[in-house]
Amino acid sequence: MQRILTLLIICVLAAPAWAQNRTVTGQVTDATDGSPLPGVNVLVQGTSRGTATDVSGNYSLEVGSEETTLTFTFVGYKTQSIVLDAQTVVNVALEVDFTTLSDVVVIGYGVVKKSDLTGSVSSIRGADLTKVPAVSPMQALQGKVAGVQVSSSTGAPGAAPVVRIRGQGTFNDSSPIYVVDGVIVQDIDFLNAADIESMEVLKDASSTAIYGARGANGVILITTKRGIQGQEYPTISLSAEYSVQQLQSKIDMLNGRDFATYVNQFAPGSYNNVDAVPNTDWQDLIFDTAPIQNYQFSAAGASPKIQYYIGLGYFKQEGIVEKSAYERVTLKLNNTFHLSKNVRFGNNFTITPYKQTNTGGNAVFATYRALPVVTPRDADGNFNAVPNVGNPLADIEYTNNADRGIRGVGNLFGEVNFLDNAFTFRTSLGVDAKYFKNRSFTPVFFVSPQQQRSQNLLIKKFEDQATVLWENTLNFQRNFGDHHVDALVGFTMQNTTSEFLRLQSQNILRDDEDFWYFNQGSSITIIDSEKDVNGADPKYNYSMLSYLARANYTYKGKYLFTATFRRDGSSKFTTANRYADFPSVAVGWNIIEESFLQDVTFLDNLKLRASWGKTGNEKIEYLKIYSLVDNGVNTVFGQGDRLFSGATYGITGNPELKWETTTQTDAGIEAGFFNNRLKVEIDYYRRVTSDILIPLEVPGYLGNGSGAQITFNAGEILNRGFEFNLGWESKLDNGLGYRIGAVGTTIHNEVLKIQGGGSVSGQLLGPNSITRSVVGEPIGSFYGYQVDGVFQNQGELDAYPHMDNAGVGDVRFVNTNGDNEIDDSDRTSIGSPIPTMLYGISLGLDFKGFDFALDFQGESGAEIMNYKETVRPDLYNFEAHVMDYWRGEGTSNSEPRPSEGGVNFLPSSRFVQSANFFRLRNVTLGYTVPRSITDRLAVKAARVYIRGTNVFTAKSFTGFSPEIANENPLDSKVDRGTYPVVSIYSCGLNLTF
Amino acid sequence: MKKNTITLCYRVMVLLLVAIPFSCSDFLDKPPQGKLVSSNFPTSASDAEQAVNAIYNTLRVPEYSFGLYPILDIMSDDAHKGSNLTDQRAVVGPYDNFTHVGTEASIKNWYSTLYQGVKRANVVIENVPNIVMDETLRTRYLAEARLLRGFFYLDLVRAWGDVPKITTVVAPLGLPRSPASEIYTLIEEDLTFARDNLWERHDERWSANDLGRVTVGTANALLARYYLWRGNFPQAEVAALAVINSHQYDLAASFGEAHSEAGEQGVESVFEIGSIRQEGLPIGGNQYGNVQGVRGIPNRGWGFNRPSFDLINSFEPGDPRLDSTVLDVGEWQDGIKIVGDTDTPDAYTNSLVYPGFPNGIGEKECYNQKVWTPGTNVPAQFGYNRRLVRYADVLLMAAEALNKNGKPDDALDYLNEVRARARGTNPAILPDITETNTDALNEIILHERRVELALEGLRFWDLIRTNKATTVLAPYGYRADKHNLLAIPQTEADLNGWLNNPNW
Repeated sequence: MQRILTLLIICVLAAPAWAQNRTVTGQVTDATDGSPLPGVNVLVQGTSRGTATDVSGNYSLEVGSEETTLTFTFVGYKTQSIVLDAQTVVNVALEVDFTTLSDVVVIGYGVVKKSDLTGSVSSIRGADLTKVPAVSPMQALQGKVAGVQVSSSTGAPGAAPVVRIRGQGTFNDSSPIYVVDGVIVQDIDFLNAADIESMEVLKDASSTAIYGARGANGVILITTKRGIQGQEYPTISLSAEYSVQQLQSKIDMLNGRDFATYVNQFAPGSYNNVDAVPNTDWQDLIFDTAPIQNYQFSAAGASPKIQYYIGLGYFKQEGIVEKSAYERVTLKLNNTFHLSKNVRFGNNFTITPYKQTNTGGNAVFATYRALPVVTPRDADGNFNAVPNVGNPLADIEYTNNADRGIRGVGNLFGEVNFLDNAFTFRTSLGVDAKYFKNRSFTPVFFVSPQQQRSQNLLIKKFEDQATVLWENTLNFQRNFGDHHVDALVGFTMQNTTSEFLRLQSQNILRDDEDFWYFNQGSSITIIDSEKDVNGADPKYNYSMLSYLARANYTYKGKYLFTATFRRDGSSKFTTANRYADFPSVAVGWNIIEESFLQDVTFLDNLKLRASWGKTGNEKIEYLKIYSLVDNGVNTVFGQGDRLFSGATYGITGNPELKWETTTQTDAGIEAGFFNNRLKVEIDYYRRVTSDILIPLEVPGYLGNGSGAQITFNAGEILNRGFEFNLGWESKLDNGLGYRIGAVGTTIHNEVLKIQGGGSVSGQLLGPNSITRSVVGEPIGSFYGYQVDGVFQNQGELDAYPHMDNAGVGDVRFVNTNGDNEIDDSDRTSIGSPIPTMLYGISLGLDFKGFDFALDFQGESGAEIMNYKETVRPDLYNFEAHVMDYWRGEGTSNSEPRPSEGGVNFLPSSRFVQSANFFRLRNVTLGYTVPRSITDRLAVKAARVYIRGTNVFTAKSFTGFSPEIANENPLDSKVDRGTYPVVSIYSCGLNLTF
Repeated sequence: MKKNTITLCYRVMVLLLVAIPFSCSDFLDKPPQGKLVSSNFPTSASDAEQAVNAIYNTLRVPEYSFGLYPILDIMSDDAHKGSNLTDQRAVVGPYDNFTHVGTEASIKNWYSTLYQGVKRANVVIENVPNIVMDETLRTRYLAEARLLRGFFYLDLVRAWGDVPKITTVVAPLGLPRSPASEIYTLIEEDLTFARDNLWERHDERWSANDLGRVTVGTANALLARYYLWRGNFPQAEVAALAVINSHQYDLAASFGEAHSEAGEQGVESVFEIGSIRQEGLPIGGNQYGNVQGVRGIPNRGWGFNRPSFDLINSFEPGDPRLDSTVLDVGEWQDGIKIVGDTDTPDAYTNSLVYPGFPNGIGEKECYNQKVWTPGTNVPAQFGYNRRLVRYADVLLMAAEALNKNGKPDDALDYLNEVRARARGTNPAILPDITETNTDALNEIILHERRVELALEGLRFWDLIRTNKATTVLAPYGYRADKHNLLAIPQTEADLNGWLNNPNW
């Protein structure tokens, strides 16, 4: 220790002594409103000496005679360098940096100057996250960040979006992790976007490897708001927003007359007078407009000893289908207490109670399939039976299903600076606690024999989860002449527990909500579809222990080097595979700092960087390492047939399971031109995930039963592509500010390997699945028959292999395996659910208080399996395109002759549609009331706006919305009647006091 | 900063960064909650009993019964696919005319389920010796497990020949097939161990509710079955006579009673699987009866394994066993009229159903009456206790072995005991057999086996082991160089890189 101390003292003393000093003073203000900026870093360029502005934005700094330039840096503002001549007062007005590329970037367990960053990290300002009215702040990232794909799974209120960073990394859980003020969580649906200061998306291995076994699918860091030190006068913000949602577009279905006409083709005489049949447009009956309300209050400020932030939010979204809604209150409390100059502690807490009501799960699908020739209700107002699918209105009417829960996420932290602030020790105790219950009640009702309940049914599910995370880090940061060193070591411990209870009861005596309880006399039973009544969710029952280290080294600000290392231990694996190491290295070269570029005036930034590293995915089903004991393996003995309990081993576990590992290489270039008005950032990435856990069929002699599967580390997947981010921002002389930005990502996804048991099984998921993942194809590729036309005449039918029940006018399947018949084995890969290109374009204008923004977003290269149109054992409504049916030779080669189901509706390429879309994601017009008015109203700032979200979508897909995302990559972009994503029109008001 | 402060900081750091993680070395030991793992089971006498019970459970697993459908009977001359024309035509139909292939689901399901039984037995055999418990009980548990393991292997080796010999709970991947001879040795060892260590049926150590557990008699009966399969008639004679001379068993009063609900776990049951009138494996049901149960009215099942004209015609005139074996449409059974399935044609030639099938072999809607349980609903049909070894089978095995061993008079005693019971009180039918020529008597005994044990899954293997399959089954498509064994399930051959059986 003493030796280190000596070394440090020498280093400090070795700094050049200064002479003939003078003192420079001044005030730093915000260029837009002239308000003083406290906490701005003022640095003598080329040295490590500097100071920060005080509460009033004032600073005072001693400057040597040789020193000519002062640099002013502040988060969220553009850095300014002022060349000194003889003056002693330098006042500076800093301009807000509206681009997403700010000067300081939050990285895992620290921050780094943007110019020193060697990894691929995208930053988003909190203000940009509030532009989409949604439960999850992630929705605002759609089309905004290169490499990030955010897709709605469904449009139902409260539905979590599916987030993928740089492609689909595994067959298993491919979601990134989120780190909220240092607390690692699995989602951020509990966070109010208005409480977020900034968000950073860590994409390459250099930036994610510090999260080791949790980093493989990317890391999203969230920093929530806190009071700014020195800002004694609190900032109070109020905002209110009201939105109306509506269905973007209806699906073009057959109306009653066309339906009857079509059915008469294959079942003559079904409808004697097609003009007399009823015409019910079920979509009109089910979908309505619905509001969203969103209100925020926050207060932020600081005294010399305390920084505080209080946020309170209320969000309520009603669904466009009746009985679907989401309601949430968010309470945010962030405090930092400065015990001394070097010691501080604090807390970040979010408490989020919520309620989500779920409409009948089948209602949207039933709406799609319901026959248009049936009226919804009879003359007495009773529901009519809708053959084969049930009456969707009744489905909604008799569904009473709601989730209620409360989530608390936060931490207590302490920080100590010592040895001249070279070292910072931080300890943080984080908690993510969740309590959740679901209640579902179905009354006695009768619509039809297929849609009825003879006994009412009450189902209740309770679940709690708690994660405690303790993280300790020691940071060292120092300049040694031209050398800058920033090093970090740490260890963390995490423990996660959970318990659930799921029960049902029938014959509750009253249908009223007040009686939806289990009580004496109600026979409580196990829910039919659940295996376990009570237990711990294996996803939320594990512990981890980790060591981490990082070193950043910068020479003259030109040459950058980063190495990180994390060793993770997890209870999910047996002792032999319990620990794994995740290293990464990265280099960077700020070419702009080289002398040969000093004369190139149009260039303001030029940097090359490259990284390599390994990260892991520990979000796996760890129970698969065990052979569990099955009970209930009972037997019958005795003359009176008595049941005796039995128990034995279930499917053999694989104790050799280990982490999935992703090896990622990244190379990037960043450039700024024309006073940084034009910024360009391009990255190439290549991620290979190996040892992916896959269940594979094993030999029957292992005794696990027919077709039993055991999980192995047996798969490998590649994702590679380019990302680009272009931005142009400027201001015309007349005061019109404008900016144009574009982001894009290409993705090449390919399964490289699937193997196990010594032989290649070649495909994942069984022959009856709608997707199949095979080597050489993207994950979750659609699997079915390839259609190459319609049999035009008998000769053609005779000449081609065809199914027994295919006739002239039916679709012709390609005989892919070359044998003489068409059967299951002719099915092949017929489309990919993974887009090859994601892009976004944004335009912004501001002029004299008005601001206008347009954000476009698009995806291309993926397909959708319109599964809801296939597999028709009974008669359902059809999409309108069937009316172009084959009427005889030469009439159609794509739309077969009319049929109720059968060969024409087997899952085939006929139902694979392009998922390409281009969408006007956001259009906003705002007006900031001039200060001359707001000052008189004692308001610091006031802005009103109107906004449209998902205003317009160009697509060829016949369904509601082309997103259809699914957390399960083996069922992604399969439309089974998805709740539609809506258009939203909002107006709002922001006030700052 | 003062030095003592620095030291304090240093100590805190050391504590936090080094000491705590090491002191928490068991922090990562987190067993699954609410889930018992294999390393903690079985560890007590009660665990041992449950593990043994679980082996018996295999006998009620639907796929244990020939992969769900009674394909052994359907492959024999005793039965056809059944049900209506199209039902499971692709799944069950092929066995009727030997067009089945290695990818058939039933073959795979049967094979895998037998090995599931082997694994459950190995759980007991491997772990129960380490449990501190009553020695007598432990020995019996081990003997039960060994018997059942041998019993599963007897099916495996008869159906597929060379199969991997698995005697541990966890077996490695990539094993080759073991020669059938090794499997035979294992079966003989297992059954012999069981015979030497099990209890007789009427041993006073049993409690009343243990009826259905395997006994010395079961072991000897299975040894007799095994030795007959191997053509070892002297040993077969010893084993079968051991059952007879133990005087633990007898024939039920009537042939009908032997299979009836009243006869469950009765005097004739040497090995019987208990089951309860419930649809569901965990709650005691057995789908074996349901698969063969009456279609239509009363709605009892799926109607597979339809008795053939060949079987019906093989009964001697007036043999009352025909009526108790074949349930006809229009018949009244336990006060219930069998109306049957209107979709199922009364009779048709199989050539219409299965192209390539010889003309002239017809069938009519009828059902396997042995699986009948009184009742009009499906759950009741799940209550049929499948008989795996009946005392009548033991008598006929004894007769067959004795005759082959040159003791026709003794053989006739046992043969005629079976016929006498079938005859009942009607002296006009089923006269005693007096034939003493070895070959002629052998034919008579085999015929007696056919009519006495029809539709009990024994006929096909009787034909194979007596080298009669080629002659008898050729009209149905049987080829001696192929169909004496089933195909190794194709996925199994692929996963292990095995060659399939000859000509498959």
